[in-house]
Amino acid sequence: MTTDAVARARGRVGKPAALLEVRSLSKRFGEVQANWDVDLTVLPGTVHGLIGENGAGKSTLLKMIYGVYTPDEGRMFVDGAPVSPGSPADARALGIGMVFQDLRLVPALTVAENIALALPGGPTLRLARLAARITEASEAYGLAVDPSARVRHLSIGERQRAEILKVLMTGARLVILDEPTSVLAPQEVEALFGVVAQLRDRGLGVVLVTHKLGEVRTIADQVTVLRGGQVILNAEDPGNFSDADLVEAMVGRRVPPLAVERVAVPPRDRAVLELVGATALGDRGHVALKGVDLEVHPGELVGVAGVAGSGQKELCEVALGLRPVTSGTVRVGESVPGLTGAVAVPEDPVVDSVVPGLTVLEHMVLDGRAVPRRGLGIDWPAVGARTAVLDERVGLHMAPTKRTLSSLSGGNIQRVLLTRELGQDASLVVAAYPSRGLDVANTRRTQELLLEHRARGAGVLMVSEDLDELIAVADRIAVMHDGHLVGVVDTAGADRMSIGRLMLGGVA
Amino acid sequence: MIIDILAGAVRGGTSIMYAGLGETISERGGVINLGTEGAMLLGALGAYAVTAETGNPWLGVLGGALAGALLSLVHAVLVVSRRANQFASGLTLYFLALGVTALFGVGYVSRQINAFTPVAVPGLSEIPGIGPILFDHDPLVYIAYVAAPVIWWVLFRTRVGLLVRTAGERTEALEVHGYSVKAVRYCATVAGGALAGIGGAHISIAYANSWFENMIAGRGFIAVALVIFAMWNPIRIMAGAYLFGAALSLASVLQTSGIAVNQFALNAVPFVLTLVVLAVLGRRTMLAAPDELLKVFDNSRTT
Amino acid sequence: MSQDVSKEAPARPAPAPSVEPRRRLLTRGTGLLRWVGALIAGLVVFGAFVLANGADPFAVYADIWTSTLTQPGQFQQIVLRAAPIALAGLAVVVPARAGLVNVGGEGQLIIGAVAAAGVALWLTPVASPWLVLLLMVVGAAVAGAAWAGIAAAMRLVVKVNEAVTTLLLNYVALYSMLFLILGPWKDPAALGQSTSVELNDAMKLPVFGGTAIHVGVALAVVAAGAVWFALTRTTWGFRLSVVGGNAEAARRAGLPVVTLLLTALLIGGALAGLAGFIQLAGMEYKLRPTFGLTIGYVAFLASWLSRHRPLPLLIASLVLAAIAVSGNSLQIGSGLPAASVNILMGLVLLAVLGWTSPRKVRS
Repeated sequence: MTTDAVARARGRVGKPAALLEVRSLSKRFGEVQANWDVDLTVLPGTVHGLIGENGAGKSTLLKMIYGVYTPDEGRMFVDGAPVSPGSPADARALGIGMVFQDLRLVPALTVAENIALALPGGPTLRLARLAARITEASEAYGLAVDPSARVRHLSIGERQRAEILKVLMTGARLVILDEPTSVLAPQEVEALFGVVAQLRDRGLGVVLVTHKLGEVRTIADQVTVLRGGQVILNAEDPGNFSDADLVEAMVGRRVPPLAVERVAVPPRDRAVLELVGATALGDRGHVALKGVDLEVHPGELVGVAGVAGSGQKELCEVALGLRPVTSGTVRVGESVPGLTGAVAVPEDPVVDSVVPGLTVLEHMVLDGRAVPRRGLGIDWPAVGARTAVLDERVGLHMAPTKRTLSSLSGGNIQRVLLTRELGQDASLVVAAYPSRGLDVANTRRTQELLLEHRARGAGVLMVSEDLDELIAVADRIAVMHDGHLVGVVDTAGADRMSIGRLMLGGVA
Repeated sequence: MIIDILAGAVRGGTSIMYAGLGETISERGGVINLGTEGAMLLGALGAYAVTAETGNPWLGVLGGALAGALLSLVHAVLVVSRRANQFASGLTLYFLALGVTALFGVGYVSRQINAFTPVAVPGLSEIPGIGPILFDHDPLVYIAYVAAPVIWWVLFRTRVGLLVRTAGERTEALEVHGYSVKAVRYCATVAGGALAGIGGAHISIAYANSWFENMIAGRGFIAVALVIFAMWNPIRIMAGAYLFGAALSLASVLQTSGIAVNQFALNAVPFVLTLVVLAVLGRRTMLAAPDELLKVFDNSRTT
Repeated sequence: MSQDVSKEAPARPAPAPSVEPRRRLLTRGTGLLRWVGALIAGLVVFGAFVLANGADPFAVYADIWTSTLTQPGQFQQIVLRAAPIALAGLAVVVPARAGLVNVGGEGQLIIGAVAAAGVALWLTPVASPWLVLLLMVVGAAVAGAAWAGIAAAMRLVVKVNEAVTTLLLNYVALYSMLFLILGPWKDPAALGQSTSVELNDAMKLPVFGGTAIHVGVALAVVAAGAVWFALTRTTWGFRLSVVGGNAEAARRAGLPVVTLLLTALLIGGALAGLAGFIQLAGMEYKLRPTFGLTIGYVAFLASWLSRHRPLPLLIASLVLAAIAVSGNSLQIGSGLPAASVNILMGLVLLAVLGWTSPRKVRS
């Protein structure tokens, strides 16, 4: 035993045995060292914050703990006994439960059926008995859920509660929550943390993955920071560190706050985008956008906040003319002379804009603008030249143009689309979750690009789940709830809680 | 004559119903099988051959089910394990079955068999109207009455059914709970093929009482279409199948009653009817499609 | 969608370009190898089937070999059979590029032939032969396109999958033809089997001097070249592949998705209609109950065998046509039903489908 380990063992005397102990876990994917020598100790009755940038290796670590990936090296212990979960089922048998960021519920099934899927049981479902058990458990944990409701009809917050309840009902003692707050309104986050605190008080261990420092401070007893697949801070008390320290640990350098150079743009009468009573149907035929009035002016960046699925997607598509309105009007105008057209960052890049078998170069002509022609075909060398200029100008460093999109990661796909769309001039920019999958530096660059568009006189509509990001870059924030635009808040002097109340349909 | 047509609808619709129920199971699990037509062909020949060799039509039904299951097993290997395109695999298997039944069926073309005969249900068959329509049929018709509600119950009230439905809606949800999507889809597809085989058996050893090349004549494809507008629900399959049975029986009833109508125009009726019903109801019923199946429908990406 | 952030990595330079052509050659080589392997596997399994049916597979194969490939004139027979298969195969290739599955070649071919026969029937007495022939071509293409158009409309308007509807339409087409040749178009002079009246000699496709090869064969080759050019060298072809890869992406890029899907299926239908025309005017000369039987399905297999590439499709059509021709000798020589060779065709494609390793697509 090394002296280090002895010291560690000594330090633990008198403390409860760790619920989960991970030692020197490493995992490699091709050329990417996703995790390297990672340690993590979760004690019962604590909330352990796990923070790091996109690509820091959080997901890989969690998936190894949950038995999805097998570590290349390293060991794991549950209650001090060595374990090696080979599947999620193994992990669950060990009392490890995971709430995935995108959840693992089946929309077409009811809450009870979803929970039945997770529980052992006989050949028949006995849904009535199960419903009674669910109601009982949901009262015990304060997680209100209707067992007979179809998941498709639930809000994101309700779905998350159902998923947590499912994990608890399978007997989890260690609950891993993967970025649970990213889709919630602040009030819902408070309610969630109430549940988390209750779990902690019952002696369960909770791992909370997040990239929001405020949340770590609010709820976490210990914090572990990952960067580049390695542990930078290990199970420290977050109270001992300033925000700047934690950010530096995450990013590896001091990041100055975004230079919010909101250039004052002279006001103009004509709006770039003008929605009057815009009403539209969603993909499943329900009314998803309900009588929205909104104007975006030249030189203005309007943020759109709301709980996921409140009509943001339909709002963007209506603004872009991709979705017809059933009533009301949509008008897109010129902002400054010579600046026309709209560019868009899609909400779900893989579903909406990626043709897997085509190359990066072939994606560059899919921007709705005129394509250089040669004879009956496309002048690909000219497209290549145009693309090089665009890549240089945007500065997000796309993958090589010969790569097919199916071979790129989410972040690299996002950079291809951002380069194509934000690299051109337009009078209207509609950006849905533009920093999805990006690291801090590229997120920053993307925000700068949006502000550059604004400074040139374009109107920008930006949807984000991150209220802090919206408050940092937007002039005004439009808040959506259940298809309605429930309020427009001036960013100057805006506060998170009042925006949150609007997100939940209350009054500011 | 109305009673003749309705009784014929029940008899003629039974084979489509078995195939439709099988295809419902398969598609609920996320696998569409155009080879249903082929599974019915193999089932028809398998049942006919076994009945001819053993003299026992019940063994024939078993043979038909096995033959259909076998063909669908190949489909499962290709689309579940090898991820081949579902439409291409299904159609190729239909074509294969066409050849296999032509080759092995030669010797059975004019053979007599001890086929199923109608068994009147004592008492019930005496009821005027309803009796001859519902209760004077071969045993496979009666089994079909029970099969549809039983399959509904299995799909919606049992754990196995829940697994099948989850495989067709969201595979990650199945995987995360430690189930094998492949295993579930294999089972659903093979079970579907077995039912299609029984549907074929009904045609050869209870309905036509003979075997000839390509005798299914598109009933399997109608069954696949039927699943769409029955919204993947076994009970609706039952209603739809009898509707097509009526269209099929129209031809024979009209012919026997001496009304001069071109036989081929009547043969086309079930297919035209299917297309019309799809055109009228398709948009609405497609909303009920399992999500994984929609991916197959929308993005029939070719490899 | 879960984003696997662990794989987020800075863009790395692409593999050295010099590797690319060599790899391509290699994949092409293994592709051919697979083909041959599939054919052999098909032959072995088919032999087993034949054996199980009580015939001697070696004798059957020897019979096929001598009667199909060593007889003079048989190669011309194969080419003649291959031409409509190739045209109907192109009817699968073009929609496939847009992500559509056209299983309706069978019906579109029949309807094309019916239209051509109808034009010949009505116009032969009143118009010059060349005009009639021209109108037969146009009629066949338009009718085939219209037949496919029904499926296209149902796909676009009511969102019902085209594979299901085109299959159903095959039966409607078949019964419509049967209705005509056993009813209004029945040749009163036909003995035994009912057929339509045979085409006037002036409407039969001319042959190349000294051979049995008619100009329809040239039409198929030209069509394959044209489709190859349109798919790989034109903006339209590129747009089709965008729609086929992700229709939503195409819509967002402002491409006319509905028009593209529609044109792909209509052009496909027209090509199958042309296949019906050359089968009628170059091969059978009259409609009969077995007219064009299984050409549409064989063409579907050919398209998948060639992975929807027009030029390999020509080779696949020849191979399948050779198998089909051997079916006839099988019937004559060994007394096995001609449809038995469907087994061989099906097995070859099954082997190819099963061996085509799925492309890795990252979610």
